[in-house]
Parts: sequence; structure tokens; C-alpha cells
Amino acid sequence: MAIFLQLLFTGLGIGAIYALVALGFVLLIRAASVVNFAQGQFAMVGAYMLVICFNVLGLPYLLSMAISIVLMAVFGVIFAGATYWPLRHRGGLPVIISTIGASIFLENIVLFLYGPSPEVLPGLFDSPGIQVGQVFMDSQYLSILVAAALLVILQYFIFEKTLLGKKLQATSQDKEMASLLGIPVAAMILFTFSYSAMLGGIAGMLVAPVLFVSVGMGGLIALKAFAANIIGGYGSIPGAILGGLALGVAETMGAAYISVPYKDAFAFAMLLMFLMVRPQGLFGEKISEKA
Amino acid sequence: MSLLEIENLTARYSSGAGDVLKGINVSVEEGEIVALLGANGAGKSTTLRSISGLVPHVGGAIKLGGVSLLGQSVEAIARLGVAHVPEGRRVFPGLTVAENILLGASNRKGVSRAEMNREVDEKFDLFPDLVRLRDALGWTLSGGQLQMVAVARGLMAKPRVLLLDEPSLGLAPLIVQQVFRIVAEIRRRGTTVLLVEQNANVALSVADRGYVLETGKVLVSGKPAELWKDPQVRAAYLGGHAIA
Amino acid sequence: MSVNLASARLWRGFPQAILACFAVVAVAFMLPSDGYYLNILMQAVTYAIAVSGLVVVLGYCGQISIAQAAFFGLGAYGVAIGMVDYHLGFFPAWLCGIGAAGLLGLLLGLGSLRLGGHYLAMVTISFQQILTLFLTNWLEFTHGPDGIRDIPRPRLGPISFEGGHAFLALCLVTLVIVTLAVWRLKTGRLGRAMQAVRDNELAAGTCGINVFATKVIAFGLSAVLGGIGGGLFAGGFQYISPDQFSFGESIVLLTMALLGGVQSPFGSLVGTMLLIILPEWLRFLKQVYLAVYGASVILIMVFLPDGLWGLMLERVRKRAKPILGDVAKLPLLTQTGQESAEFVLVIDGLAKHFGGLKALDGISLAVRKGSVHALIGPNGSGKSTFINVITGLYKPTAGKVTFAGRDITHAPPHERNRAGLARTFQNIRVFRGMTVLENIMVGAERPGNDIAENPALVVERALAALDFVGLRGDAHRDVGALSYGHQRYVEIARALAATPQTLLLDEPAAGLNLTEKHELGELLRRLKGHGLTILIIDHDMKLVEQVADHITVLNFGKRIADGSPRDVLNHPDVIAAYLGEPQEEAGAAS
Repeated sequence: MAIFLQLLFTGLGIGAIYALVALGFVLLIRAASVVNFAQGQFAMVGAYMLVICFNVLGLPYLLSMAISIVLMAVFGVIFAGATYWPLRHRGGLPVIISTIGASIFLENIVLFLYGPSPEVLPGLFDSPGIQVGQVFMDSQYLSILVAAALLVILQYFIFEKTLLGKKLQATSQDKEMASLLGIPVAAMILFTFSYSAMLGGIAGMLVAPVLFVSVGMGGLIALKAFAANIIGGYGSIPGAILGGLALGVAETMGAAYISVPYKDAFAFAMLLMFLMVRPQGLFGEKISEKA
Repeated sequence: MSLLEIENLTARYSSGAGDVLKGINVSVEEGEIVALLGANGAGKSTTLRSISGLVPHVGGAIKLGGVSLLGQSVEAIARLGVAHVPEGRRVFPGLTVAENILLGASNRKGVSRAEMNREVDEKFDLFPDLVRLRDALGWTLSGGQLQMVAVARGLMAKPRVLLLDEPSLGLAPLIVQQVFRIVAEIRRRGTTVLLVEQNANVALSVADRGYVLETGKVLVSGKPAELWKDPQVRAAYLGGHAIA
Repeated sequence: MSVNLASARLWRGFPQAILACFAVVAVAFMLPSDGYYLNILMQAVTYAIAVSGLVVVLGYCGQISIAQAAFFGLGAYGVAIGMVDYHLGFFPAWLCGIGAAGLLGLLLGLGSLRLGGHYLAMVTISFQQILTLFLTNWLEFTHGPDGIRDIPRPRLGPISFEGGHAFLALCLVTLVIVTLAVWRLKTGRLGRAMQAVRDNELAAGTCGINVFATKVIAFGLSAVLGGIGGGLFAGGFQYISPDQFSFGESIVLLTMALLGGVQSPFGSLVGTMLLIILPEWLRFLKQVYLAVYGASVILIMVFLPDGLWGLMLERVRKRAKPILGDVAKLPLLTQTGQESAEFVLVIDGLAKHFGGLKALDGISLAVRKGSVHALIGPNGSGKSTFINVITGLYKPTAGKVTFAGRDITHAPPHERNRAGLARTFQNIRVFRGMTVLENIMVGAERPGNDIAENPALVVERALAALDFVGLRGDAHRDVGALSYGHQRYVEIARALAATPQTLLLDEPAAGLNLTEKHELGELLRRLKGHGLTILIIDHDMKLVEQVADHITVLNFGKRIADGSPRDVLNHPDVIAAYLGEPQEEAGAAS
């Protein structure tokens, strides 16, 4: 039982990372109808920014995180300008391909600049963790869970309680009508890219101490975040969060009880199953063919 | 100088297609309700969409208070005081009635949140049927309710001219009457309205003047009483068959 | 590439291909024995074969696949494991690899092609990742990350492909055959079906194409081509490992396809050659070459969407010549003249609800065989919904649709087309990536049409339809280059070429200028009296008056009038529906 709870805790921690990346992903889908295959690379870039600030420049940890987050916001805008903006009238497929190109570009540019050996980042806290009953709660995992919860609350607050959030929702529900009301649609979309990049970057910074910082870390996380999105319900915000958590737990349990090397395959197997059996996921609406 | 001047307006949707509008001349004075009538495909909605900036290929002149609207972005035109209530209402389905109406003020700068909330409350005075739906989400509303929300949202912009596109579309006759009573009231309070309607009868019952469009041109224009008697109006809708 | 009646020749391209085979074999043996050149070419050739698979699935059919390296890998591992562990010959092992790739491709396609583009992309990426995991971790079967070495080269009877030159020759000949096949595919019936699906899936269905099956076949073919290339790769380099078939390699293959031009196997060949040979010359970029790949994908999407080959093709197309010669007249059913009493299309209590909105609220009507039946009504009355339900694009909430005695209420669009129902669309759905003639050929070769199986007759029928609408001179032009009105005629010709029993025209006059409307009226009058049943939706009353034998009026999803034009257009309910109820005058407006 103790093992089960321990695994559950770890699974939720990893799941929270997937949820954060999935959240950034689904926001872009809703706001700009963009399927961003480079979402995982946002996490990777964020982690490397933290490495540069903390390991290389020697800045204090929290300051490094803050600077990195701001840089990610800027990065999001640049990313939108390069991959989305020139193709925004050309429909889904060119944009998808463009983001795929961007993901490969980012991975390899960082590889070129930084080399293939993984970096090590310390966690937020010095203490290794706290013991709660039979479960040992690793401090970094705790930070992940707390940070994720705070971000979800922040997001809820922004989207539901502020005027900006309403405008963002309006833009994602009916772009043309939003522009007729005078809402600056382009700015809304750029903001969404920026925010999405920040979310991804934060996820990367939080998971880095646990996983090592390496060029390839983004790709796998992104794919699992996509899977989380579909399992939770494509286009659904609560679906992204719950899908991510569910995936993290399933994967951790699977690794422990079934097999370690094929751990990563669980996400994809789950994804394939859902796609073939219940493509609308847990919370999504029935996907009907539009006429 | 009229508030809204449209001169020799031509428009088409893509460079390969033919012109939908072939030289429209319309003017709207401040405080008027002007109706654009005609059969479907005549170009009425395209005229409104040209004004609000949604049509890509436009020629001629569109001036609001002397300022040209041609070539400006949709958001810029909204900020200049054009509120377009489009065909089909297009109320945001995932936002509440109050939120929808609130967003109508997005074209105005420097308005405090308190001021905006006050204006939203004023709209509920104008549309008492919406009071109990204040927190209802857009997708749950009926056609008539959607129309009222859309109009209230348009009014929030404090527009110099309100473009109303086919407000009676898909609505039962009783609801249509209700909507048009509100249109009359809006005008009474001083808002200028350019109204597009297929339902000539109800449009002419509130308008000060009307234009009848046919295949992209103005066929005839004048006061409601004149238009009513003109056999060309009936012909424009129903083809060559006059009264049997 | 001018298409004429000779284009239907079965052996087109074969002489050139055979010549090319001899040429490449000669070239292969003339190359220096230095392994370097041989290796470069071998990689380029095997990759080009795999990339041609992307031409089929992405270029022709418009479906995204990011698992081509996985299928490449399946082919390679088929050869490797088959030869090294099971001591099979090269060719049987190759077939196993190809078979595995094809089978998995089909399964993957069957499971995911009903959904949109990005779903397929995710599925293919997932599949790619799972395969890499298996290749790396299933040590007993795949030898794990160390890979498989010492893969022998094949023997075919007395011919040994042991030497580099000989094996390269084998690769090159395979490439020639594959290129010929992929090129011929494009101008064949299946290729046109794929392109129709890519350009306008909805319209493709209404032209009789089984969209789902077409996509699955395209996907399966691309997997098979990947497997073919992979098998040769294994034999060529004689050592393979899992990292050669990873997600990154799928991206490389995708870039090669896009750069050269994903619409053409020649284009993708150019792209592959460039992207393999260039890095060799730009050695210093080796470290970042993938980064350059990534960036170039974006740049190509933005600036060169048709690739290099597309640029060249533009110049060729501009010099398209008209086709001369007489063809048999367009058959429009054998009966002439009078409407028969038989009803060809019977609708009973049809309802379509979108949530709370009742777009169609219990409509019943019957269309007489051979008549021109018009459906009119104010905006929002349900006319377009009606036609979409009848042609199978929407599922009805209730009611029954009977066509030529058959209940087609729940039949998918392509089956309705096969039963004899053809339609045009209000917002014109032509296949923009094809020429005018090719568009109409899609209509002519619909399954069940009398001449569908005979390519030469298909071309003839298409030309006849073109003659009927008066556009023979535009046969080779890109359909997108035509004026809006003429594109409408192409759509009508496409429907007529299918020799339908009933033609549904959804607002055919929309967007036409006065001259074009005249011509349209003429066209409809010419169609009348041939026994073809026509159901037309339009707002243009003059047009409707002139051609309709019978009019049904809809309002608020209900039928409010039905009868001869004279009766209907004077009916008070109809007048009220269009002009509104009479109101009290001026009371509110002063």
C-alpha cells in the first residue's frame, strides 16, 4: 500500500508537468486553432534558460527562474512571428508542418550551442523532502504540484475574472466577431503564444532537477502532453489537466508494475487506444464531420 | 454632410469572382433609420460588411463623418464608431449574457470598469427580458434572446452608426415585432441605424428611408410610403410576377 | 505534359522507363569504385524511394504522415532479421519487411483516418516512437541498440549483387520502377481520387469517391514504399541500428519531400538528392544540419509551398494547348420530353435538428422524374440544410429519403452518387489542384458509370461534358484560373459527366454576373426535356420562373407552398414569407 501511495504521489507529480504543457497546448488550439508541435521544446528552452542563468551566470535561483520566465514570454512572441504569422491564412496543415520544423530547429540549435551531455540543475529546495506517513514526498515533486496548482488557479483567475481573459475567450470562440467589437485579435493571439510559452517554460524548469536537462527532454514530454490532451478531451481545458494527471499516474504505475523500459510506450498506447475507440476523450464533445 | 456616405461602392470577395456590389450609393443622416432591402444575394449584407471592413476587395468611397473607412482594419473601424451586429447574431457561446454585452465596449478607450458595469445595467433596463438571463451562457439562448443580446452588445460601443444585419432572420413573427419595437426605441434615443432586412414590411414600418437593392445596384430609394406603392419592390423579391 | 486522348494509353511511360533502367545500370557500373560515391548514391536512392511514399500520402492525398522513417525501418529490419537470424534470402526477407510495413500502415490508417489532420499526425508520431522503443528494447528479436551487422547482399540465381556497383544498380532500377509507378498513379483514376480527397473531401464524397478507403489506401501505399526503400537500405549498408529510423529521420524525409515538391515523384527526387548531397559539400554544417532542416521546413512552407518542382511546373502549365477532335455527344438519359408520373425522389417527414434549432421541421415533397423542380424560400428557411441532408452530408434527425425506389436515408455520400444523384455546391467545390479536364474526369469515372472502367472513354465523356457547357478550350487550364462563373460550369459539367439520374443544383446562379446567368438559364433549358431530373435551389426568381416546372417553398424549416410557378408565386403565404406580414404604417417610424 505504501508503495502504491508513493507511486501515486510521483505519478501525480509527473502528471502535473504533462498537464502544464498540455494546458499551454490547448490554449493555442482554442485561441488560434494552432496545433503546436513545438510545445515540448518550450519546456526544453525554459530549462536551458534556467541553466544559463543559474549554472552559468551564477544568479540566485529564484531570480534565475523569474528572468527565464520573462524571457520565455518574449520567446513566445518571436516564435509566433516566425512559425504562425506568415501562414495564418493558409490553413491547418502548413502551420502544423511549420511547428514541426520549428521543434526540430530548436532542438538542434540548442544541441549545437550546448552539446549533447545533460546538465544538472538542483531543485528549488535544499532539503530532500518530507515524510508524510508512509510516503516520502520529494521536495521537487512537491514544488511541482504546488506550482501547477497555483498556475491553474492563476489561469482560472485570468480567464474567468479579468476583462483580458474575457477578450481571450471571445477571440478563441469567434475571431471575426471579436474583431468586429474592436478587440485586437492579433494581440490576443500573440499574448496566447507568449503565455503558452511561459507555461511550457515553467514546466521545463520545474521538471529539470528531476529529469536532467537535455536537448531531447522536450520531445517526449510534448508527445505525452498531446496524448493527455486527447485523452482528456481535445480542446478541453479541464481535460488537459486531468488527462495529464491521469497519464502521469498510469505511466508511473505501468513502469513499476509492468515494465520499465517500455514506460514511454504506455502514453502512446493509451493515446492510440483512445483515438481508435473514443476520440473525443473523457470530456470532449463528439467529433462530428462538418458538412 | 451626411454621417455615413457611400459612393459608387464596388465589392467582391475574391479576386477571381465577379463583383457582388456594382456601384452602390447610400447616405445616412445622423439620427435616421435607413433600411436596405432586397432579395437574397442582392448585396445588402455585403454592403454592411464592406463598411465594417470584412470584405477584402472594395472600391469606391465609404466615409463616416468625412473620414474614409476604406482600407482600414476591422478593429480600427470599430474604434471609429461603427458597431456591426452581424447576420446570425454571433453571440459568444461560452460567455454569459452580461459578459457578451460588456465586451461590446471593447472599441472604447479609457472607460473605467465601474462605468462599464453601469452601462451594462442600463442595457438590462432597455431589455428587461434579459435580466433573468444575466448569467446564462450564450449557447443556451433562443433566437430572439440572442438578437437582443447582440443588439445590446452593439449599443455598448456607443456607436456613431449601428449596422443591423437581418435581425428578423429565423425569428418567429411575434419575436420580430418585439425586436423592431426595440429598434424604434433605439432610434428614439438618438442612435443612427443602417438596417438590412429581407422582411420589407417590418423594416419599412420603422425606417425613415429605404433603398431597394437588386443584384448589386440600387434599384429605387425613398420614403417607406413611396416604396410601398412601387411595384418594382415586389418584383425585386418575387420576380416578374406582379399581383395576378 | 499535355493530356490528350492518348493519355489513356496503358503503357505510357514504359518505353522511357526501360530506357532509364538501362541508363542507370550503365551509370552504376561506370562510377569509381571508391565506396564514398557508392554510399552517397545508395543513401540518396533508398531515401528517394521512401520519400516517394510521402508524395503519395501527403502530396496526392493531403494526409500528413510523420512515420515514414518507421516504415523505412520496418523494411530494413525485415531484411536484416530475416537474413541474419532466419537465413532467408534477400528477396523473401525484403517482402516480409514490406509486408510488415504495409500491414501496420493499413492498421494505423484504418484506426485514425476518420479524424482530422492533426490527429493523424499525432498518431503517426506516436507510432514512430513506439516502434523506436521496440527496436531499442526488444533485444531478443531486434538485437537492441547495437543494431544488426553483417547483413549479406542478395543473389538472384546466377547474378550476385555482392559488389557495390551491382547493388547500386539494383537500387537504381527499383527507383526507376517506383518513380514510374508513382508518376502513373497521379494521372490514373486512383490518383485523381486521392487528389480530389486532398482538394475537397466533401465534394469528393459526393462524386462517388469512398473518401475513407482512398485515404487508407494512400497511407498503406506510402508505408509499402517506405518498406521497399528500407529493405534496400539494409542490404546496401549492411549494418542498421534503431537510431537511423527515429522521429528525426521522419522529419528529414518530410523535408526532402517538401523541398523538391511533394506533388511529384520527380520533385521529391530532386529534393532528396539536394538534401543528401548538399550536406556532404557543406561538411561544416554537419553539427547543425538538423537545425537547418528544421528551419528550412518553415521557410519552404512560407516561401515555396509547391517546392522547386512546382516552380518549374508553373512554366510548363502556362503553355497548355486546347484539345482538338470530335467526341461522342454527352448522354443525358434516353427519354425525351414529357415528365413521367413516376416520382424519382420522395422525401417523407424529413427533420434535421441542430441542438434546439429545427432547421428542417418535417418536410415532405416528391420530385417528378424528368421535371425541373425548384426549392425556394427566404434566407434561413432550411434550403441548404435540405440539400445537405439529401446528399448525405448531414444525418437526418427523422424522416425518410427514397431515391429511384431505394431508401437512401442513411447512405453515405458516395453511395448516393453511385445510385445516380449528383450535385453542385453553393460555394463552388472544384478540385483546385487539378486541371479542368481532370475535375470532370473525376465525375465521369464515378463507380457505376457506364464508361468508368475505360480510361479512354472517360476522357471522351469528360470532353463531351465540357462541350456541353461550352468550355472545351479550357480543358488543360488549372481550374483555379477560370472565372467564378466558369468554375461553376465546370462543377456542373463534373456532375453531368457522371450521367446522373437526378441533378441537384445548390444556388447555381450565386456569384454569376448577368451574362453568366443568361448562359446558365440557357444551359438549364438545354438540359430540360432529356429525361434528366433537376432539383434546383436558388433565389433568382427570374431564373426560377423561366426553368421550373414545379416549385416548393420553405419557411422556418417547413413547407409552406407547393405547386406550379404561377400558383406558388402568387400565394399569399409565400408573399408574406418573403416580404413579411403587412404592418401598421408609420406608427413607430416618426
